[in-house]
Amino acid sequence: MTIDRGRIGFTTAPSRVTIDGWRVKLFCQAIGETDPVYWDVDAARAAGHAACPVPPTFLKAIEGEHYSSAALLQLLQVPLAGVLHAEQRFDHLAPVHVGDVVDVSRQVARIDDKKDGALTFIVVDTDYRLADRPAARSTQTILVRNTPAS
Amino acid sequence: MSWPAEITMTGAAVTPLQLALFAAASGDHNPLHLDPEVARRAGFDRPLVHGMLTMALAGRLLTDRLGVGCVHMLHTRFTGVACVGDTLELHATLEREADGLAHYALRGVTGRGSEAITGSATVGPPRR
Repeated sequence: MTIDRGRIGFTTAPSRVTIDGWRVKLFCQAIGETDPVYWDVDAARAAGHAACPVPPTFLKAIEGEHYSSAALLQLLQVPLAGVLHAEQRFDHLAPVHVGDVVDVSRQVARIDDKKDGALTFIVVDTDYRLADRPAARSTQTILVRNTPAS
Repeated sequence: MSWPAEITMTGAAVTPLQLALFAAASGDHNPLHLDPEVARRAGFDRPLVHGMLTMALAGRLLTDRLGVGCVHMLHTRFTGVACVGDTLELHATLEREADGLAHYALRGVTGRGSEAITGSATVGPPRR
């Protein structure tokens, strides 16, 4: 299949996502995180945090509240069945806490073919901003395995 | 701050409950992570661990040892797969220090000996 290169540069309109305590707690349970600073505000304050902080990479988990990677792939008309998450980078620029409101925006940064078109790499950048400063940036690389028939 | 040369964490076997919790937390409901039949049809013996769960474990490897808020940058390549029931052993190896930050190489290997992730991280004094 050929992915429409006209979508390179497509940028989602920023939307606001509130960091919910329940989501942070579920995330911690899933990854075996046992430090209560992430869900007990008293423990967080005792440790010097303004509120419960979020663990590294947690912000990826709120993307779906903005514009999920699955929705981006649908926009690009790429079937989910043939894709793999190849690579992910997170730059954490400032702490983010439960209760914070984060402005999220995503952009299709690149679409590159490799191996004579057998593979296509879709690179999506995501910006996370707090009211007064950038909170994080991430880069997701999605690998599409193209079959000769498609 | 003196940075450890090596950090290692070996987790218990990843359970279906963890993957269900991660699916709920992240909104990634891809059945490849939840449904053994879908995983089998895709050529895997068992459901796959979300790559982002393995990456989050790499984050925990660092914060457990170096403190909440220590991670400035985390970069992983999902070079292989981990399945439900696999244990994951994560390693960080100090590569260099500069300007108060430390740069680590990362590797995650399943109990079956197959590589799941490689990557790198930049850590600094914990930020509040």
